[in-house]
Amino acid sequence: MTARQLYFLLACVMPVAKLVMLPASLADHSANDLLFPALVHLGLQAGAVFCVLLLAKRDQSFFELLEGTFGRIAATILITVYALFLLFASVLPLLEQKLFVQAIFYDTLPSLAAFAPFFLFLAYTASKPIGSFGRVWDIIGPIALVGLAGVLILAVGEADFGALLPVGAAGASGFFKGTMSSAGWFYDAALLLPMLKKIEYRKGLPLKGMLAYLGGGAVVLFFLATFYGIYEGTAVNQLFALASVSKYFAGISMLGRADYIFIFALSLVLSFFAALPLQGAVECLLQAYGRKKYLPTVLAVLGSAVFLTLDALLDYRFGEVLLALSDLFWLFFAFTVAVPALMLLLRRRHA
Amino acid sequence: MRKFLKTVPMKIYLILLAVVLFSFISNDFGLVDIQKTAIILAAAVDKTEEGFALTAQIAVPKGSDRTTGGTSSVEIEAEGKTVSDCISAIFGKTGWVPKLVFCDLILIGEEAAKDDVVEDLNYFLRNEYMPDSCRLAVCEGKASEFISSKSAIDDASSLAIQKLFSDAAEKSGMVMVNTLKNFAIGYYGVSESSYLPFLRKQRQEGSQSANSEAGSALGTDSSGVEQVYTANETAIFRKGRMVGRLSQEETFAFSLLEGKVFTGTFGAEEKGKPVTLTVMKNEGDVSLLADGEPRAKLSLQVTVRLCCRSISSPIADIATDKITPDIVRHAEETLHGYVKSLWDTCKRCECDLFNLKRALYRSSLEKYAALKDSLLPSLTAQIETKVLSVK
Repeated sequence: MTARQLYFLLACVMPVAKLVMLPASLADHSANDLLFPALVHLGLQAGAVFCVLLLAKRDQSFFELLEGTFGRIAATILITVYALFLLFASVLPLLEQKLFVQAIFYDTLPSLAAFAPFFLFLAYTASKPIGSFGRVWDIIGPIALVGLAGVLILAVGEADFGALLPVGAAGASGFFKGTMSSAGWFYDAALLLPMLKKIEYRKGLPLKGMLAYLGGGAVVLFFLATFYGIYEGTAVNQLFALASVSKYFAGISMLGRADYIFIFALSLVLSFFAALPLQGAVECLLQAYGRKKYLPTVLAVLGSAVFLTLDALLDYRFGEVLLALSDLFWLFFAFTVAVPALMLLLRRRHA
Repeated sequence: MRKFLKTVPMKIYLILLAVVLFSFISNDFGLVDIQKTAIILAAAVDKTEEGFALTAQIAVPKGSDRTTGGTSSVEIEAEGKTVSDCISAIFGKTGWVPKLVFCDLILIGEEAAKDDVVEDLNYFLRNEYMPDSCRLAVCEGKASEFISSKSAIDDASSLAIQKLFSDAAEKSGMVMVNTLKNFAIGYYGVSESSYLPFLRKQRQEGSQSANSEAGSALGTDSSGVEQVYTANETAIFRKGRMVGRLSQEETFAFSLLEGKVFTGTFGAEEKGKPVTLTVMKNEGDVSLLADGEPRAKLSLQVTVRLCCRSISSPIADIATDKITPDIVRHAEETLHGYVKSLWDTCKRCECDLFNLKRALYRSSLEKYAALKDSLLPSLTAQIETKVLSVK
């Protein structure tokens, strides 16, 4: 994966995943202070991205890094646990994606079968080597950029940014609740760890990568501000922010929902992003247990089947999923912030 | 790229992507079985002793030949303890599955508006298929009777009413339009205030049906009387309850303060003779001056041109749009009077129509906490109106 492809992933694709249900969740807990929990997460993730890209300089895979310090058996256990975390992190984007498609793209509630083909795509994507995915970001990155720009341009005129005042109205409890409940959306640095050794290291990559991520983060913050500026105190009722901010543009009433062009483009981007955690988990397991011929396919199909089942079982239990993720916020901090930072302490490979 | 696309994995990718995209955007082919679905154009809500009465205006196919156009509709009424019960009852009565995706108007009956109208709107706010850009209005009398009345200008009364809420109507300053979304923002905001257009209907004089209504006095059926609607008054709300009504002049002043008027007209005088002025540019602002004793500043600046006089005038006068200082003075007095009357009505009703509490909340949490209950009754207004002539 080249540096450019990585920047596309960090700056254009990763922000899109924060624009579907995160805004309403933040508005629920932090009201007009919704930017601050997001700012904390983005700051932490940017630091973690910097750490992971520093590790990329060592030209070792995730498993090799662990193996060099802890030995093969311990490294296998650790990376398996990490893969399990990535599978756990997959639940939210997959469920979110399904609910988004069902609620926004259909006039009446469709059956699960309407969304089921996505799991074929998920299985196929997850079975492909993560390192060869750079080209996908070359294509998806610009699509995400155009989609984001389109949605924001249509939305920004309707926003009353004064709604974000007064700063601190939600208080410390609002801030902490918002931070905890939104942790499940921020695991970007963790997605990069399985890509180690596949990322083409260049001088300045960690800093540029971090800046690219922060650039994408700025877009997320701007979107959140626009979203709250449009809906103010009723923002919590707008579950799918991505589809609801651009519909008040003056031309939409005459043209119909022309903004759906951008929303469709972004849902395509989301499809690729939603596949990343499973792809990362498969990659982790392959690094630990060897690249046997059919193992990637078996793991990917198995993972997709599990997620398809989960999606069916958790159909009307999204609130419970969010609550569980909120309770387990520390897990996200541990795996996505602490682990990348601590890995810098791992023993270097001797030449 | 061509070589890249020729590889087997890429071909599979493209096929899978096509399948995924198809499943995302097919929308079940957007098929609506008109025989099984009630496409609700508008809903009218009244309160009953038991709960709610909902009248849904449902679009029905009018005909398949080219000579019959337009939208025909039927009104179905149902009662229940909640609005949702009413919707279910409509389904039970007709066998049509109610579909709210195309519902662009919710009418609230005058009596229902005296209670918290969000009780009526709760269902619509929750329903994910309900467009939140849907227009809301209060009507005189019962909403069910209003929506069932026969319009003189359109096949369906809801479509005739919506013509009153067009962009052009809004720019005229004759009507203050509001949507489900904006009403909810006002209701749930710190100001707890909002507004809706107040609809009245009157018999269309001289129409064939009106003549037939004259016959109704002689005992014939009056159900076919054609009506025209007006929406140039505005109902104002505090905590979801209608607490007052703005007159036509106050509604115009409200529009001007919101800066919405373009090419709207209002009357003034020159040497005791009426003239009509057209607003070409409208700058309005309401702000809270929180330094010292809080007071509201309502400022209005309009650039106008002479639209018409009520007397004969020389051709050189007709050729010019400029207005004389006498008209300017009188126009300023007129607008000042409108704005003063608007302010007095809002203050009397304790309706924070201009979101002054919100302005205080946004500027200082401490001051808001100290003044939130006493702000509106104690507030004085500083009104500035300026009328400029086109050059």
